[in-house]
Amino acid sequence: MIFARFHRGLRAALLAAAVVSRLAAAADLPTLWAERVKCAVAVEYTVETENDRRSMFDYGTVVDDKGTIVLPAGSIEASLPPGQLKDFKIFLPGDPTVWKAEYLGQDAFTGWHFVRAEEKVRSRLVPVTSFAAHGPSPVPRIGEELWGVGFRTKDEDFLPYLLKSELSIIQSLPDRTGTALQEVSGPGLPVFNRDGILVGLALESGEQQFQEYSQMNRGGETILLVDVEESSIFQLADEVLPYFNRIPSNVDGRPLAWLGADGLEPMDRDVANFLQLGAQSGAVVSEVLDGSPAAKAGMQGHDIIIAVDGRPLPRFRPDRVVSEFLEKEISRHRPGDLMRLTVLRGAAHVEVTARLEDAPRLIREARRQYFDGMGLTVREFVYGDAVQRRLKSSETSGVIVHFVKSSSPAAVAGLQPDDWIKEIDGVPITSYDAAVDRLKAASQDPLRTECVLLVSHGGDTAVLRVKLNPEPAAVPK
Amino acid sequence: MKPAILNLIFPRSTLALAALVVAAGRPAQAAVSRGLNQLLDSVVCIDVREVNFEEGSRRFEASIGSGVVLSDDGLILTNAHVASPRAVEINVTLANLEHVGAKLVGWDHWTDLALLRLDMDDVRRRGLRFSHAEFGDSNKLFPGETVYAVGTPYGLKRTVTRGIISNTSRYFEDDRGVDGFETGAFNTWLQTDAAINPGNSGGPLVTEDGRVVGITSRAYLGANNLGFAIPANVAKTTIAGLVHEGSITRSYIGIVPSPLQDLEKFYALALDTGMLIASVDPGSPAARAGLQGGDILLAVNHRPVDARFPEQLPAIQNFIAGQPVGSTVVLTLKDGPKERDVPVVTERLESSMGEETVFEAWGLSVRRVSRAYARENQLADDTGVLVIGIRPGYPAEEAGLAAGDIITRINRQPVTSLEGIRKVEEAYAGKPEPTLVEAQRDRRVALYILKP
Repeated sequence: MIFARFHRGLRAALLAAAVVSRLAAAADLPTLWAERVKCAVAVEYTVETENDRRSMFDYGTVVDDKGTIVLPAGSIEASLPPGQLKDFKIFLPGDPTVWKAEYLGQDAFTGWHFVRAEEKVRSRLVPVTSFAAHGPSPVPRIGEELWGVGFRTKDEDFLPYLLKSELSIIQSLPDRTGTALQEVSGPGLPVFNRDGILVGLALESGEQQFQEYSQMNRGGETILLVDVEESSIFQLADEVLPYFNRIPSNVDGRPLAWLGADGLEPMDRDVANFLQLGAQSGAVVSEVLDGSPAAKAGMQGHDIIIAVDGRPLPRFRPDRVVSEFLEKEISRHRPGDLMRLTVLRGAAHVEVTARLEDAPRLIREARRQYFDGMGLTVREFVYGDAVQRRLKSSETSGVIVHFVKSSSPAAVAGLQPDDWIKEIDGVPITSYDAAVDRLKAASQDPLRTECVLLVSHGGDTAVLRVKLNPEPAAVPK
Repeated sequence: MKPAILNLIFPRSTLALAALVVAAGRPAQAAVSRGLNQLLDSVVCIDVREVNFEEGSRRFEASIGSGVVLSDDGLILTNAHVASPRAVEINVTLANLEHVGAKLVGWDHWTDLALLRLDMDDVRRRGLRFSHAEFGDSNKLFPGETVYAVGTPYGLKRTVTRGIISNTSRYFEDDRGVDGFETGAFNTWLQTDAAINPGNSGGPLVTEDGRVVGITSRAYLGANNLGFAIPANVAKTTIAGLVHEGSITRSYIGIVPSPLQDLEKFYALALDTGMLIASVDPGSPAARAGLQGGDILLAVNHRPVDARFPEQLPAIQNFIAGQPVGSTVVLTLKDGPKERDVPVVTERLESSMGEETVFEAWGLSVRRVSRAYARENQLADDTGVLVIGIRPGYPAEEAGLAAGDIITRINRQPVTSLEGIRKVEEAYAGKPEPTLVEAQRDRRVALYILKP
């Protein structure tokens, strides 16, 4: 017992010594760099579609000692089904060795994609948490020097290089977000202060556009050329550290908390003043989706949400951040949770209590099948398709065209992605399985010359004929 | 589905000056018929000043077209795209080059025809003289027949060009073809190679004896002499309606038709039988009766239909449109090997273009959301007005409204009429108070404040 106690004490002492030595060496940027660059990796994966394979590269930060790596929210296209994401690999900075990795899925709340490195390489990775402050993370002050890591490209073995800048501003968007004068780290990679303490995680440079938009009127557009390899904006450390353990339990990122109040639109100061909201804010619910928790709770389109669980919506600068704040409030919950929303309906305050549900199947989760002879992929009709077409979710039938190979019989017949196939060979399609059976039968029948589809495209319906088993063309002799 | 391939053939505002080419004299080939001479004295030039409400303010535009006098009491036929209800001033130049004012009597964008009446008091006071034209039978035209187009291209008074009938029943439909209004669903067109230039619009297409067989209306832009005219027999029916009521009332059931060519075998149909229903407008009488895209229509009121080719569609559409509004039309549909009759109660046909106006205090131009527009755009109902223009620096722009927004409520009250908005605007103009506007953009609903 005494030994154990001593041992524990010794470890604490050693840890303390390590921190002290780190701090003592604070002035020595080369030393800080050498240690901290080990928490940054490059991630390569392949997107495999019907007729195409593409290699993609992103940067990730190591967040624990189990080889867990966090990639920024937009790094992987959200519409891609996880089944099309293949061959995840990681590279250590400046090292061409390929290490295998596994895709764990996307977390709904942070939006991060999680990847896990293979066992063998884990000992060479250093979690970014080792450089976090004990207790609250330091909030950099305007003008303070910050630095981070950039990567060269794959053909340069992802050689790391130093990025350094000064803090320009901190805003709540709604996360506390810092902007530096210039690029300060690779997107998804950590940002440190001069003492080597973690102060943030760089966002994708695309987020910079968000700030530009916010300078303009609602709906204003701007064209901004941004460096996608480096970023000058970052979430503060305390906005990210608590969530490194939100590792999805499945690649689909399920469960996904769902309210079904769609199109949450912000309001500006003038509107808030008119509605006598004082210092707080509100968001207009554009549409309450059919059969959703919001609908069941009695929420109505055009309601204005002014409080969540009794807490008034804060005012953000810019005002439009309130929409994202609400989305985050919802995704913070789990299906089954109750969410109490105070809404303004006309002049009346109404309390709406919704029990969140797991979101209906997403398009990226829809079952799908490729028919090579036709050059056509169809997918299941999911809830989002009904919403898009303004149908009741109970009215759904048929399948959706997901992919049309160029110059294929399907393309020649005039099929386009997102077309809605309602009948195949004159038979109404009531389920995905029925559609697949019919298409399979048609494409495998050597005697069939065509397959006739009744297709809805936009609002118009058309009868399209997909030619099968074309006669061999006469060849001049 | 219906590309706007044909351009209106009169200029929207300014007139390009046509170069004058002096041709060497040559002997007259044949004496011009008496009929043609009389016709020439009935063709007029029409100068129109019309108001539009674009970009948040009231603006005036001048344009020019042709017309033909139909009667001694001063009725003039022209195109709907020459003189519209937006006209604030119509000036007619008679064949003898005298100017007389005129008023709009009736307007029908579907057939692109408008009817004017000369200021007959003025005509009598000044003792002005003009001739009037006689109609021919456009059903008797044949391809290759010689025709003359008479009009005032580029304002050049009484210009005659000659050509032949190139096609007697050309199908052409355009959802935005007449100043944004629909045209061509209920008639086919005459095609001619007689030279038709901007400003010819509304002038007559006549046979050698000077009888009016068509009203020249449009031409392909950039093509050589592909001109289109409304057949006289269509015009005669339209005129009869316009004289009495100022507009043509048509029935609507909400089907979008399509030809059946090459699909007969798939549908197990005899040739020259039936019409394909390509789609059904959501919420329309046909939709409520259970019709769907892909249905085959075999008969209307037990009269068999045949739409193997697109040219056959307008006649069927016109037959349905001609049924009394609110009457029951029996549609016979193919139902597997059998047939079934579906009764459908017709509604009054509406354009998707609603009435327009401008609220100048706010710098806001709007168009009423019509039932047809609401259906096309899958809106919940026809409440609201569509923003069509914003004046920079005025309250609507400052608030963040933009063209394409649909204003659904003002000060929390649903928008049901332009007059309702006018009242709020007048109150605002008198004493500007912040005004709450709810508007929908795509599917998102947002709030805006109009304030000084």
